[in-house]
Amino acid sequence: MAARHKSVETRFYEDRDRVLRALRNCDRRTFLKLSAATMGAVMAKGLVPPHTFQLIEVANAAVDKNWGTHGAQGSAPFRFAYISDAHLYERTLNQRFIRAIVKAVDDVNALDPQPDFVLYGGDLAQLGSPGQLETGRQILGNLKAPVKMMVGEHDWFLDLGEKWQELFGPPTYSFDWKGVHVVVLQSVYEKDFWTARKMTPAERMQTVAGLDNAVQSRFEVGDAQREWLKNDLAKVSKSTPLLIFSHSPLYKYYRPWNFWTEDAEQVQAILKQHEKVTVIHGHTHQMLFNQIGNISFYGMLSTAWPWPYAPEGLPKLTVQMNRADPFDQFDGCGDGEFTARTDQLVDTVYNLWDRNPVTVRADYLVSGGKVDRPPAPQFASY
Amino acid sequence: MPAPKPDALAEPKSVDQVGFPEQLYKWSIPPDNPQSAAKVALGKELFFDPRLSVDNTVACANCHDPDKGFTDQLPTAMGVHAKFGHRNAPTVLNSMFNIEQFWDGRAPTLEDQAEQPILNPIEMGMPDEQTVVAKLSKIPEYQKGFQEAFGSAPTYRNLVEALAAYERTQNAFDSPFDRFMAGDANALTAQQKRGWAIFNGQGRCMSCHGWNPTRPLFTDDRFHNIGVSAHSAQFVPHARQALALLAKGGGSQQIDRLAIATDLSELGRFLVTKQPHDIGAFRTMGLRNLYVTEPYFHDGSQATIWDTLDHYNKGGVQNPYLDGGIVPLGLSEEQEDDLAAFLLSLTNQRYMAEAEKEYRNQFRISRTTRPQRDTAAAMGLKGRNGPGFSGPFGDIGPGQSAMIENPASLGGY
Amino acid sequence: MRRKSGIVTVTAALVAIGLVTLRYLAAADPTGVAQAQSSLPAHSVPSASRGAVVVELCDGVTHTEVKGLKPGQQMTRAQALAVTGQLMAEWRRKHPDRHWVLAQNDQASPSASSPENPARGNIAGPGETANTKSQQGDTYASFHERDFKVWQAQTDAFVNYGNQVFHSAKLLGSTIGVSCDMCHPNAANTHPETYPKYQEQLQRVALLRDMIDWCIENPIKGKTLDPNDPKMRALEAYILAQRKGVALDYGKH
Repeated sequence: MAARHKSVETRFYEDRDRVLRALRNCDRRTFLKLSAATMGAVMAKGLVPPHTFQLIEVANAAVDKNWGTHGAQGSAPFRFAYISDAHLYERTLNQRFIRAIVKAVDDVNALDPQPDFVLYGGDLAQLGSPGQLETGRQILGNLKAPVKMMVGEHDWFLDLGEKWQELFGPPTYSFDWKGVHVVVLQSVYEKDFWTARKMTPAERMQTVAGLDNAVQSRFEVGDAQREWLKNDLAKVSKSTPLLIFSHSPLYKYYRPWNFWTEDAEQVQAILKQHEKVTVIHGHTHQMLFNQIGNISFYGMLSTAWPWPYAPEGLPKLTVQMNRADPFDQFDGCGDGEFTARTDQLVDTVYNLWDRNPVTVRADYLVSGGKVDRPPAPQFASY
Repeated sequence: MPAPKPDALAEPKSVDQVGFPEQLYKWSIPPDNPQSAAKVALGKELFFDPRLSVDNTVACANCHDPDKGFTDQLPTAMGVHAKFGHRNAPTVLNSMFNIEQFWDGRAPTLEDQAEQPILNPIEMGMPDEQTVVAKLSKIPEYQKGFQEAFGSAPTYRNLVEALAAYERTQNAFDSPFDRFMAGDANALTAQQKRGWAIFNGQGRCMSCHGWNPTRPLFTDDRFHNIGVSAHSAQFVPHARQALALLAKGGGSQQIDRLAIATDLSELGRFLVTKQPHDIGAFRTMGLRNLYVTEPYFHDGSQATIWDTLDHYNKGGVQNPYLDGGIVPLGLSEEQEDDLAAFLLSLTNQRYMAEAEKEYRNQFRISRTTRPQRDTAAAMGLKGRNGPGFSGPFGDIGPGQSAMIENPASLGGY
Repeated sequence: MRRKSGIVTVTAALVAIGLVTLRYLAAADPTGVAQAQSSLPAHSVPSASRGAVVVELCDGVTHTEVKGLKPGQQMTRAQALAVTGQLMAEWRRKHPDRHWVLAQNDQASPSASSPENPARGNIAGPGETANTKSQQGDTYASFHERDFKVWQAQTDAFVNYGNQVFHSAKLLGSTIGVSCDMCHPNAANTHPETYPKYQEQLQRVALLRDMIDWCIENPIKGKTLDPNDPKMRALEAYILAQRKGVALDYGKH
């Protein structure tokens, strides 16, 4: 099975080579600007670069025609699948979560036709250890379709992203796909709460791992990355649809559980200047969707466990999924698909395990809930 | 094979049994078919009458023989012209309490259930309802019987109502377990009590095979994919085919056509509801009188109780639609023996002699022949952690609960 | 209590009838009355409608209109008691966490000192007549202010231990690194107020601790706790504490 399709890291290196080739096509001034920006971004994140290569992809239609077909007007519709929030432990400790992510890989591999790519939505590891991340990489390597990786807080806060970047590359990048501009963000930065408390990396990670832990800071995209985003989008026409992949929701749902992005309004201010924007986020482990202005938001399911709905702040448009039965480890969990339509809006299918799948269409969100309402739950949260 | 003749075990059984659910009984009699002695007598006649089949060889009692726990003790039922079906014949005992009938729940009542085998070409083979009615109408005993029971000539509806009325007299509670729960601490052996504790604890049986005094049936009346279908290599490809058809907007008829053409019986409840979550799902059957209703599962594929326990212990058979509640259990051999002994205690006392004989027989077989056993999987030692990705997963807990108090002694029932 | 134009000063009247002295009207903070008196907040009470009398509390906000009283007219004892009782009840309602204690005088303090009984004590609540007295001299109700703090501290510590266990796979004895808060952040979705109820997973009527044990055995894969195990009791305490104020609703699914 491994011979027939490429592993994640093989694809990563192929991507990297492709961009490096593209970079070589820049004139010297552009190249220097890129390098300076790269170094700046690296330093802003507090990373001492042992890495000789920092890939900050700047999607530029003129640079490389190998990125995929993109028409000047309108987009070809395409499908992509997602697997998210696997929260893997080492296999010697816990096999339940491994069973679940493997089930998701099987689901996606069985799709016919295959999706264009698979988004991994963050929180591959539970406590960010190299072993956990390696386990996840190995399992995702069995996917037939190409994988786009996104980082979550459980991956990041043990070593502040060092192992993640070694395995999967930079957490922030963008690319074009069939006329859509796709941005992958690291939206789980936190202001330093650990130094003053003299926490070890393990303690820091354990703190972040607790959802209801009031010690950690709220998630943010951060000044540097917002700047990067502004610059990245400056090169994209306002009529080009945007797909934003983010682990935190990029809006404010429930602060105590970090279902929250502290600088959400500022991020939205950048995004909403484009006509069609869809944000796809992880972290919330539930069927969740929202519309703010012209931005649609879809939350992805987790493979590992479902979160309850927060006591307040639930978007009005969200139709809850039924409460989960803990007898069934899959209940309330699953994976899913997105369809980027020809009219540049995005639909989703929540592939809930041991339940019928639920389709949520952009029409429902964009109409403010007037059409195409998803089915109501029998047992809502209370 | 000639149709069985009614004997003592075919007689209507008293409702005055230990553990009989009186309230549930009232809820389960349909208002449009109340019980009456005339209906029951007529129904009994019909139940044993092979003239309801096209070649006069097969009566209901052929596959639901009172002496065999109202089953045929065959893997799948055999009908006219020695044709075998795909499904194991469920017992009539206590069937009045099933919310839906058949392994896939396609009939909502006993009356609706009775309509189907008579007209099924591989069961009793009658061409249509009118033929059945015409045949019965020519028989003087039935002219009289229907007149007494319904005040009219035979109709197809009356026929099934009579059959259902008879079936509603075939309830078999009154087991050692029922006596135990009624207060007789000595009704179960020490081993059986251990089995009951495992049933509630590490075995995780109770969550689907639920028992309480109001509904003492050992079933949750729901449908689960526990992986029995996955024994067939065709199951997953057929399932994907059916789901793809559904996703493309295929309707009921298309799926039915597909089912007939490709023998999709393994898809179970899905063929009735056409809902994705029902792929490969079958009814949770009750656990009473198991040692007279062998073999087991919807396809009768498991000959002994130990085979069924091995199936659950290893976490079922992996397939993409396996219910997430089916996980490896980590039961030891002794624990499986305890459970098997406990299940014997659910036998109605009138069937106990035969059940004990079968139990000893299965026990003997289980010492040497265990086709479903996979100890490594059951103990969580074998997992899908390698590139091959086949087999169930581990995560066995610390073992028998610290709270090994028998739940029955905790009260609250 | 102070007076604006058209407002009768009630204090003097009350002092005159010997019911209340300012000295004893102390909130349960240690700053003392004198300080409280010297740092009274600015008043924001609306002026009285024509001819009516408005009495205001020293917090500068709580006030009530006294019907039927003309400026210059003295209140009857009953009226005064009713008015002051009303004001105190209103203040207590707005400050449920503040302990308003009537200090000891010569006699044993009445059992009025807990915040849950705002209408008790020496100050009559609305509707109570002048003859209502609280029960004095009750040995087993002779609580000190410090007692309430001790109870609170002990309860908090117990709930906190439950908090620790709830969030720790290790303390729960999980063999797979799973803790309760993974599915139940802040004990969400535990619904302790719905027990006893028929619990599907157990197929019998259960209490909260039965379900806790089931969860420990199944999703958490630990050894079940004895019902009297301190960890079990603490888990119950923590879960119940998270649902303070939610109405009991046994049997709800």
